[in-house]
This record gives sequence, C-alpha cells and structure tokens, in this order.
Amino acid sequence: MISVSNLTKRFGRTTAADNLCFEVARGEVVGFLGPNGAGKTTTMRMLACYLPPTGGRVTIAGLDVLRDSIEVRQRIGYLPENAPLYEDMRVSEYLEYRGRLKGLQGSLLRARTDEVVVQCDLNDVYSTVIGRLSKGFRQRVGLADALLHDPAVLILDEPTIGLDPNQIRRTRNLIRGLARRYTVLLSSHILHEVESMCERVLIMNRGRIVASDTTENLVALVKGHAVTVAEISAPQEELVKRIQSLPGVMRVYAEAEHGWTRLRVESRKGRDLRTDLFHLASLNGWGLRELREERRNLEDVFISVTGSETQAPEDGP
Amino acid sequence: MRKGFTIWRRELGSGFLSPVAYVIMALFLAVSGWVFLQLAAGNSGTDESLISLLVRVIVFLWLPVLATVVTMRTFAEEKQRETIETLLTAPVTEAEVVLGKYAGALSFLLLATLPALGGFFLLVRVSPGLARAGVDWGALGGGLLFLLLMAATCASVGILMSLFARNQVVAAMSCFSAILVPLIVGQALGATASAPAWVADAVSAEVHLKAFCRGLIDSRAVVFYVSVTVFLLFLSVRVLEVRRWK
Repeated sequence: MISVSNLTKRFGRTTAADNLCFEVARGEVVGFLGPNGAGKTTTMRMLACYLPPTGGRVTIAGLDVLRDSIEVRQRIGYLPENAPLYEDMRVSEYLEYRGRLKGLQGSLLRARTDEVVVQCDLNDVYSTVIGRLSKGFRQRVGLADALLHDPAVLILDEPTIGLDPNQIRRTRNLIRGLARRYTVLLSSHILHEVESMCERVLIMNRGRIVASDTTENLVALVKGHAVTVAEISAPQEELVKRIQSLPGVMRVYAEAEHGWTRLRVESRKGRDLRTDLFHLASLNGWGLRELREERRNLEDVFISVTGSETQAPEDGP
Repeated sequence: MRKGFTIWRRELGSGFLSPVAYVIMALFLAVSGWVFLQLAAGNSGTDESLISLLVRVIVFLWLPVLATVVTMRTFAEEKQRETIETLLTAPVTEAEVVLGKYAGALSFLLLATLPALGGFFLLVRVSPGLARAGVDWGALGGGLLFLLLMAATCASVGILMSLFARNQVVAAMSCFSAILVPLIVGQALGATASAPAWVADAVSAEVHLKAFCRGLIDSRAVVFYVSVTVFLLFLSVRVLEVRRWK
C-alpha cells in the first residue's frame, strides 16, 4: 500500500531522511519509532504530500506522491503532530468544512460525519467551539478529520502525545479498532503502546531506518542474558552464596528489605533459574513471594539500535 | 473550484467571527465618516466632488488598514497554528487555496466598506442643495469601480505578504507598508512635475482617483490594477507551491 524507495530529504546541510526504503502492506499497522529528531515527522510529512522529497520515490496505492499528489491526498488520512485545528470553529462546522475540502457533499457528507463522530466518541462536544476543548478531545477531532473521507491509508503522527492515561487507552482502542479496515502508519515515543498496537515496527535514528521487523523478531534479536527476579525471606549473605553456586549464574544483585531479600539474578542466555530458586527456597523453608523471568521488550531493542547517542539535529521543519 | 468556494465561505465566515474585525470596522467607520464630513464642509468653492472626497477618504484612510487587518490572518495564522499542514494535505490545489482565501478577503473588504458609502447617501438626503442637484450616477459608478479595483489590488498584496510572514504582526506591518508606500509615491508623482506626466498617469492612484470620480473610466488604469492583482496572485500560488516553511 505504501512503498518508499531511496527516500531522501535534506534541509540545507542537514539530512533529515537518508535513503529510506520500506513497504507497508494493505491492512498492516506499522509503528514508527525513533528518538526526537530522528526524522519521523519529516518522513511522514513527505508521505502525506506536505513536503516534497529531495530524492527517491514514494507511492501510495500505486500513485506517486509528487505526480498524482491530489489523488494520493484523497486516499490518505493524515493527523499531524499536536492535531492543529481552527480554534474559532465548532466541531460540527470544522468537520463539515474538512469534509467539503475532501470532496464530500450532501448525504454522503452527513453519513460520514455521523459515522466518525460515533467512532471517535465526539457526540458530547459536537457543537462545542474547538478552542474550548481539552487536549484529548482535540486529538479525537483531528482523528475524526483524518477518517472523514474513508481513506485507505492513515498516517498518524504521535496520536497519543500529551494525553492522560485514560485518553491514551481510549485512543489506543480506537486505533486498534481501525486496524482491520485501514492501513496504518503511526509514530510514537511510547514503546509499550507501539508494542501493543502494531504488528510491525520501523525504528529510525538520525535519518536512517535502523530496524524493521515484527515486534517479536526484534525482541528476539536483542542479545543478552536471562534475568530472574525473586524475593525470598532469607539472610542475604547466605542466599547470595547459595545462588552463586548454581550452574549458569553470572551475577547476583541483592537488597535487603524488612527481612526479605530482593534478588536480581543474571544467568546465561537460555538458562531458566526459576525452578532452581523455588527448590532452594522450599528445601530451606524460606518464604518465596515473587519469582519471575524479566522479559526483554521493545525498549531494550530501541536502546540497543538507537544507541546512547540519541542526540540528533533538531526536528526538521 | 468547488473546494475553492468552500475555502471562500470559511474565510468570509471567520472574518465575521472575530471581534477584532467589528472593532476596527466601527472605529474606522466613525473616523472616516467624521473626516469625510469635515472635508465636505470645508469643500465649498473647490472643484472636488463629494464622490471624489468620499472615495479618497475610503481609499487613503480606510483601505490600507482594513486590507491589512483582513488579509494578515489568511496564511500567517494558518502557519502560526500549524493548520496549514492539514490544509495543504487535503486534496485541494494551491490555486484553489489562494483564490479561495483571496475571494474571502476581498468580499469581506467590500462588505466592510459598504457602510462607509452610506455616509454619502445620508448627506445627499439631509442636504436640500445636494438633493436638488441630484446624484451624478456616472461619477458614482466610476468611483465605485475605482474602489473595487483598489480593494482587489490591496487584498492581493495582503495575501502575498501573509504568505511570506510567519506571524501575523510581521504580516500586518509588511502588508500595511506595501500598500501605503505605493499610494504615497503615487500621490507625490501626481503632485510634482519632476516625473513625466505619463508615469503618473500610469501608476498614480491619486491621478486615477480624480479621473474615475469624474466618471472618466481609463482602460489603461483598469488593465494596470487587474494585471497587478493577477500577477500577485500568481506569485502567491507559486510561493505556496514552494512551501518550505521553517
């Protein structure tokens, strides 16, 4: 659905996007990750026909963003960062205006407006002036606008930024609900959110794509040792000594807490210590109140591929 | 062009939504009305007609300010609020955006100028001498045409300046000077003999004003204003196409 090849964007001497290549298939939900200034917004703006690329090619549904710009825009629903809206209009007026701009009219316009209002839960604020709306509602009005002309592709730039946890959950559910009907490319800083919403992840750093795969594959890629976390009621020194003698254990961190010892045990990759720890505790009659394997998540992937040098030039215009 | 019409309607509507527009309109209606009355009262004995006086007050006093207030928002506000990004990623062409916004600004300008014309008819109504002489419709028509041409040109200047500026204050200052400076230069050209007469004939609003308000419609002047407007609008479309906002 989205096909990007050798896409490059330069602003003067800074290269905001450097030779990007990726594909997004129909119906896929792809998360776009990266530190601030990695070039996510610039890339999304090029896909949405807002910025012309310096080099390379972008096609959406087989149409070129430069040559068939209007056609492409007709097929894209774009939510820019911070969802800019006209503050002086009512939600109803805004949606009508945007609908007409996107070529809807008459009964179709009314039907689509009713549908997105329900989808984005805007009934309560339908005749409120946008300037008086909270951040969460604004974000939803922006999303309603992006959905209005029933586009094939949704490009959402940080759809949950600045929202409170409840609003984030609602927006996330909304986007998950859209996944079946639309092809979605969304950017975010919040990793667990991307992990829960997207089937596939693109990680960008300093204008380049540094990782692109399904979430599980990426997590599996991260090398390192297994980590087991446990809490056992035993004298710290003795416990640590006993654990260190177990096979495969590399390092033990312990911390005493009201008669309990909090442990973080690193062991060889693939070595699961949980059974051993359980036996250790039960044989000695010690209490055991926590025992789990610490899972690698997208955060570890993110940190390992974007490195510690996350300082890049300022976000492009 | 249906989408251009949608933009036109939104522009015109938002003009009437802003309280600033009403304040400026009321203020200048009062000031221009008072100036017109003063000029009209001190006018006996000169050869300048009432219509010419009225159009002069509107064009030199009212139009630069009103055109500035109306057009400074058009693009500068969209850039400031970043709504330009949603506007330009909607399936509309740059020409539709520019023309829609231009038409909105121009119609707002004309609607706002209408009440000032009322002063003229009021004066004719209350003054027995004027009522007996009757209204010179040819001169009035010429004056109105000149007003329309000036409003059309000022609005296109404002649109271009608003496109260049990132915030409304800068847009307002550049628009106001871009309108006022040519007006003053034209005034000077008409008043001094230092420049050849054909230069003043071609570009001086002062010279055009006098001719039009006698009912003398000079096609060269019409072509001049129309082509300046078309050129500035064309330039605006091009500037918007380059769209590399910082």
